[in-house]
Amino acid sequence: MKKLISAALILTMVLALAACGSSKGGSDTGTATKGVLVMATNAEFPPYEYHEGDKIVGIDAEIAAAIAEKMGCELKIEDIAFDSIIPEVSSGKADIGLAGMTVTEDRKQSVDFSDSYASSSQVVIVTETSGISSLSDLDANSVIGVQTGTTGDIYCSDEFANIERYNKGMEAVQALSQGKIDAVVIDSEPAKVFVAETSGLKILDESYTDEQYAAAIRKGNTALLENVNKALSELKSDGTLDKIVAKYITAN
Amino acid sequence: MFSAFYDALYLNFVKDDRWHYLTNGLKVTLIVTLFSALMGVVLGFVVAIIRSTYENTGRMKIANKLCGLYLTVIRGTPVVVQLMIIYFVIFASVRIDKTLTAIIAFGINSGAYQAEIFRSGINSVPKGQFEAGRSLGFNYGQTMVHIIMPQAFRVVVPTLCNEYITLLKETSVAGYIALEDLTKGGDIIRSRTYSAFLPLIAVALIYLIMVLALTKLVSVLERRLSRGTRR
Amino acid sequence: MAQEDRAQGDVLIRVEHLVKQFDGHIVLNDISTEIDRGDVVCVIGPSGSGKSTFLRCLNRLETPDGGHIYVYDDVDGDIRHGIDICDKTTDIDTHRQRMGMVFQQFNLFPHMTIMKNLTIAPMKLQKKTQEEAESYASELLSRVGLSDRASSYPGELSGGQQQRIAIVRALCMRPQIMLFDEPTSALDPEMVGEVLSVMKDLAEEKMTMVVVTHEMGFAREVANRVMFLDGGDFVEEGEPETFFSHPKSDRLKNFLGKVL
Repeated sequence: MKKLISAALILTMVLALAACGSSKGGSDTGTATKGVLVMATNAEFPPYEYHEGDKIVGIDAEIAAAIAEKMGCELKIEDIAFDSIIPEVSSGKADIGLAGMTVTEDRKQSVDFSDSYASSSQVVIVTETSGISSLSDLDANSVIGVQTGTTGDIYCSDEFANIERYNKGMEAVQALSQGKIDAVVIDSEPAKVFVAETSGLKILDESYTDEQYAAAIRKGNTALLENVNKALSELKSDGTLDKIVAKYITAN
Repeated sequence: MFSAFYDALYLNFVKDDRWHYLTNGLKVTLIVTLFSALMGVVLGFVVAIIRSTYENTGRMKIANKLCGLYLTVIRGTPVVVQLMIIYFVIFASVRIDKTLTAIIAFGINSGAYQAEIFRSGINSVPKGQFEAGRSLGFNYGQTMVHIIMPQAFRVVVPTLCNEYITLLKETSVAGYIALEDLTKGGDIIRSRTYSAFLPLIAVALIYLIMVLALTKLVSVLERRLSRGTRR
Repeated sequence: MAQEDRAQGDVLIRVEHLVKQFDGHIVLNDISTEIDRGDVVCVIGPSGSGKSTFLRCLNRLETPDGGHIYVYDDVDGDIRHGIDICDKTTDIDTHRQRMGMVFQQFNLFPHMTIMKNLTIAPMKLQKKTQEEAESYASELLSRVGLSDRASSYPGELSGGQQQRIAIVRALCMRPQIMLFDEPTSALDPEMVGEVLSVMKDLAEEKMTMVVVTHEMGFAREVANRVMFLDGGDFVEEGEPETFFSHPKSDRLKNFLGKVL
C-alpha cells in the first residue's frame, strides 16, 4: 500500500515537472512571454547599437525589430553590460542577444547562435604619429586597450601580455588618444565612428581578425532558433538586411 | 548535478588558469587598499591637525579653508568619479601606472574621511586635558603630541578600522580605469565563461573573508587598547 | 621683548587694570592687586563673579582683553624685572612652567600611570633625567601619602586621591606659585578634608598660593588675605579675621550672610 502511494506521489511529481518543462519553451514562437521578443544588448557599440535620444538604435536594433515583426512579436530591448548578455540569454531573462556579438567556440558552449547576419573584423586603432604601422609591429611590449569581454579582448589576451580592459570602447579610445596605451583593438564599425570623431587617430589597413556576427539564443531553444533563422533568411533575400546596414554604414 | 557543478568550477576557475584573474586581482586590491590607507592616514592626519589647530587657536586660517574645501569636494562626490577624473583628466596625456593612479585616488578619498575621524577623536578628548597640558608649560604642539593624540588615538582606532574596511570594498570600482583588481578579475572570468554565478560568488566570498578577518583584528585591537587605559 | 616694570620687595605678581569680557559681557572689570611671595590668597565670591576667570588670566589660560599682569622672577635682589604676560610676545610656556595649576576636575592624564603623570613635564620641559624626576615625584608622593599608587592609572583612584596627585603633578615642576581653581568643588564631601590638608601643608611651607574656593573655613584658617569678587568687581579684600568678622561693604555682608 505504502509503495503504491509513494509510486503515485512520484508519478505526480514527474508529471508536474514535465508540465513545467514544456511550459518553459511553450509559446509557439519560442519566446519566454508570448508575443514579446526580449533582446539583450549593450548600447555602447555604434553603429550596431547606441543611444539616440531616449531610444536605442543601430543595426542590431533594427534587425531585431525586423525579426520580431516577422515573428509577430513586440520587441523589447534591454541595455545591459556586454559581459552579462550571454548569462541573461542563457538564464532566459532575455530571448535573444544581439550586440555585435562574434560567434566563438567558447560562447557556443553557453548559447546557440543564429545564422550570421553581418560580418565584421577586429581592427587596430593607433595614433597618427604612432610607430605601429602594421600588425607585426604589435609585440609583447605594446600596451593594447580593449573593451572587456569583446572578441578583441579575448583574442588579444591569448596573444599579448599587456592588455588593458576598459568597461567601454570609448574609454579605451580616450586612453589611446591621451597616450596612455599604444593601440586599441576593437570591432571595425565602431572603430570607424571613434576614429571619425576623435582627431589624431587612424585604423591600420590590415585587420586583426575577421568574424561573423550572430544572435545568441538560449541553448536548446530550437523553436526560437528556427524562427529567428527563418526570419533572417527572409530579410536577407528581400534586401532588408542590406538596406539596414547601408543606412548606418556608408560604403567606403 | 554534481558533475555539472564540477564542470562549472572547472570552466570558471581551472580552465586556462582562470583563477589567476582572481589571485592577481586580489593582489592588486590588497596593494591599492594598503597604500591608499597609508596615504590617507598621512593626509587625514595633517588635515585634522590643521583643522583642530585652527579651531583651538585661530592660526592657519588659509590652510584651514583649503582643508575645508578638500573635505567638501571629496566627501561630496562619488569615489568612482574622482578616480576617473584623476585618470582621464588630471593625468590626461600622461602614461601613469594605473595601480599608482588608483592608490592616489583612493588615498585622497580616504584621507578626507580619515581626517574627520581624527578630528572627532581630537575633539573627544576633554578640554581640561588640553588645559592641564598647557598649564604645565607644554606648548600647543607638545600638548597635542604627548597628551591629546595618545588619547584621541584610542578613541579613533575602531572607527578608523571601519574606514579601512569600507576602503577595501570601495576599491572594487578600480575596474573603471581598467585596473584589474579582484572585482575586475571576476568580471574578466565572467566575460570569458559567460556564467555569472560562480565568478561573482567567488569574488564576494573573498571580500567577505577579508572583511571578517579585518573585523576580528579590530576587536582584538580594541581589547588590547582598552586594557591600557582602565578608565 | 615684553614690557617692563620695576618692583620692590616680595611682589611676585602685579595685576593692573585687568579686563576680560566674553561676547561683550564684562566678567572682570578693571581689577588691580598684588600677590607677594608667601601669600596665600583666597578668592571668594558668588558663582559667575569672575573669580575663576581671574585665576585663569594669571597663567593666560584666558587671554585678558585689557590691563597688565606683571610676573616677577623669583631671583634675589631688591630690584627685579617684571614681565607682562598679557603681552602677546611673551613666551607664556616658560612662565607656566613656574606656575602650577590645579583644576576642579583634576585633569590627570588617563592614559598614563601616576608616575608618568608626575614625571612627563619635568622630563620633557626641564630636561630632568628619569631618575631625577622619579625620585622627586616619589618624595612628594610619600608626603601626600600615595606612594603605593605610583603605578596605578588615574581611573583607579578616588576623587580625593586624584586631586592630591594633581597637586603633586604641579609641584613636580617646582613652581614659585600655585593656582587652585575650586580644587574641592568636584569632590564628595568626605574627600574634601584630605585635599585641604595637603594645601594647608603647602601653605605652611610658605608656598605662594592663589585659591579660588567656596571653603570659607579654609580661607579663614589658612589664607593671609581674602579677596571678594562680585559681578566682575574687586569689592573688598583684607586679612581673614577682619574680612569675615567685620565686612565693610554691603555686598560682602550679603554674600557672607548666605554662605556662612
